Amino acid sequence: MDMIAGKIKLTSKTVDQSMNPLDVLERETRLSARDVTVHYGDKQALFGISIDIPDRAVTSFIGPSGCGKSTFLRCINRMNDTIEGARVGGSIKLDGDDVYDPNLDVVELRARVGMVFQKPNPFPKSIYENVAYGPKIHGLARSRTDLDEIVVSSLRKAGLFEEVKDRLNEPGTSLSGGQQQRLCIARAIAVGPQVILMDEPCSALDPIATAIIEELIDELRENYTIVIVTHSMQQAARVSQKTAFFHLGKLIEEGVTEDIFTNPEHKQTQDYIMGRIG
Amino acid sequence: MTDTLLSAASPGSRNREQVRKGLRRRHRSEVLFRWAGILSIVAALGFVAILFGMILSKGMPSFWQSTLHLEAYFDPELIEGGPQPQREDSNSDADYQRAYSNWQRAVTLSNWNTVVETAIRAQVPEFEIETGDLLDLVTTAARFQLRDQYFANPDVLGQTMPVSILGSANTDNWLKGTIDRSQPDARQQLAPETRQLADQFLEQGIIRFDFAGHIFTNVDSRSAPASAGLAGAFMGSLYMMMVVIVLAVPIGVASAVYLEEFAPKNRWTDLIEVNINNLAAVPSIVFGLLGAAVFINYFGLPRSAPIVGGLVLTLMTLPTIIIATRSSLRAVPPSLRQAALGLGASRNQTVFHHVLPMTFPGILTATIIGVAQALGETAPLLLIGMSAFIANIPSSPMDSATALPVQIYLWQGNENRNFFEARTSAAIIVLLGLMLMLNAIAIFLRSRLEKRA
Ligand SMILES: Nc1ncnc2c1ncn2[C@@H]1O[C@H](COP(=O)(O)OP(=O)(O)O)[C@@H](O)[C@H]1O
Ligand SMILES: [Mg+2]
Repeated sequence: MDMIAGKIKLTSKTVDQSMNPLDVLERETRLSARDVTVHYGDKQALFGISIDIPDRAVTSFIGPSGCGKSTFLRCINRMNDTIEGARVGGSIKLDGDDVYDPNLDVVELRARVGMVFQKPNPFPKSIYENVAYGPKIHGLARSRTDLDEIVVSSLRKAGLFEEVKDRLNEPGTSLSGGQQQRLCIARAIAVGPQVILMDEPCSALDPIATAIIEELIDELRENYTIVIVTHSMQQAARVSQKTAFFHLGKLIEEGVTEDIFTNPEHKQTQDYIMGRIG
Repeated sequence: MTDTLLSAASPGSRNREQVRKGLRRRHRSEVLFRWAGILSIVAALGFVAILFGMILSKGMPSFWQSTLHLEAYFDPELIEGGPQPQREDSNSDADYQRAYSNWQRAVTLSNWNTVVETAIRAQVPEFEIETGDLLDLVTTAARFQLRDQYFANPDVLGQTMPVSILGSANTDNWLKGTIDRSQPDARQQLAPETRQLADQFLEQGIIRFDFAGHIFTNVDSRSAPASAGLAGAFMGSLYMMMVVIVLAVPIGVASAVYLEEFAPKNRWTDLIEVNINNLAAVPSIVFGLLGAAVFINYFGLPRSAPIVGGLVLTLMTLPTIIIATRSSLRAVPPSLRQAALGLGASRNQTVFHHVLPMTFPGILTATIIGVAQALGETAPLLLIGMSAFIANIPSSPMDSATALPVQIYLWQGNENRNFFEARTSAAIIVLLGLMLMLNAIAIFLRSRLEKRA
């Protein structure tokens, strides 16, 4: 009981932004999207999205359901490639490399841009195997000890190691929902990405598990570029430094999180924040 | 609408009235449906029970067959060739080989029937019966049985040994009453003296109903129906199943994986999909014709061989395996594929590391059910010549052979109806037993694998 209370207290600390809101404007741009459009068959889902995403900060995408947040997120690591009939236009650059360059290997891209999904989806394998899988297929570990080290440090970074260190060989699916989601984060981290995309990572979790994940996101921010889709404005306000508001496939407004929530420029943004749309 | 609701004296009670009226009807239809369901299950189970009951009651007795327990004298006067030639230092290899084969020929050509006859007569020295009628008592294979026993142990020359000799099919019929015992002599298969002797032997315990293990170890026989067995057909079926498993599983699984995970969804793949479903509905006899035309006439594979039967059955099993594998691939949650792809696994790695292992129980069950189906298939095998009478156990898939269901068909058509009616049921029991075993394995493996996953 004490521990849980402690976690909540810790989380409330993260709510008061430890980063100066203006700092985010000075961060280097890691990802820049220009005029991104997406069609699903004949239906257009995104209309010319242009946005810069800063390094080592959390950027959140908010907006009513179906406005294209996930679609845009999937453009960044080309997960849309796997959807039949999806076409992407415009350009997205990761550190200056065009993500849609035909010469760029999508396998390599996904090693640089990790992803965490809405519903925790660990492999039906052991906890250890879950984390070790990425490094294995990318050939990141030269020996068994190397691999052990990567697994342990990834689990540590995801704040899961202490809870699972005695049962690394148990199936990942035996963990609780929140632990499973942290396992998925550890799995993504293990590949050593620069960017981590998270699509509503807490929507399937209870409030306590959510608080723990939010705290984790805040820690990870120091070393990774994080993009998070969320339907909870409170969450966006708590964890992100930059916020982008989407509506009907268009990017309506983007900027420093505090500004968006306290002083939105557009009426639609204001309406959404006041709970009038969504 | 709002008006009527408001104007009603008590809208709530009126609604309840309405619901209650409907309730009775709903309950009635529910009860009716439940009874209809129970009734159809009872009917279905009833038919199955009748079928199994009939087959079991008919077939079980033929697993115990009339057997004569006699003392046979291996008479040196009758058995020619003398003692088995021994290898000595004085004679050369070639000499020994010649002596040995001479001895073998002499033994083979000896009058074994007289050895059998003497053994039977020894039990009833007083009884007057002609030699032919006497030998009708035992299977025509009796002489080979004694001969083989002698070859196995030539030291018995000049000694008297206990032997058990199968009764003939007609003796068995007479003693089990599968032939009408009240029929006049002219309509009986056995002479009156033979029948009398059979009854007397049964009473004295010389004839006993022993477990007929030879059903499992002997091949089919025309001349000695009593000692006919299923071993040849069983091996033929086994070779075919091996061919089916070796070919149908990899081809079927690979096709399913390609169609489901890699192929673009367009008109061509739609066409292929429709055709695979059609293939599953093609009558099996058509596959037999195809097999005869393609594998035998065009590719020149041997007629009556399990390799051809296996190929034909592979064609029949493929759609089952493809369809079942595809549906278990479809049941794999997309989130699993996303997880792997999101980590940078290639499509191949995603399929082979994550998706396929999850479908393993499904593929396994489909395979076993497909193989069980193939095991029972008869019609296409008739068309590729696997209904020929084969007196040897096939030693490879290229040898002539028959199969279990075909053996059932052949026995069913045998002219000695009284004997083979029960024998056919016995063969059906063996085949059904094999199928039940396969299905039990499928269920066992499935539950094991699913628990582990
Ligand atoms: N796989 C798909 N195929 C077709 N249309 C899709 C697909 N995924 C999303 N869409 C459509 O694209 C639009 C944006 O969806 P999405 O990006 O999932 O929205 P959000 O994540 O903001 O709720 C929606 O209108 C949705 O119907
Ligand atoms: Mg979404």
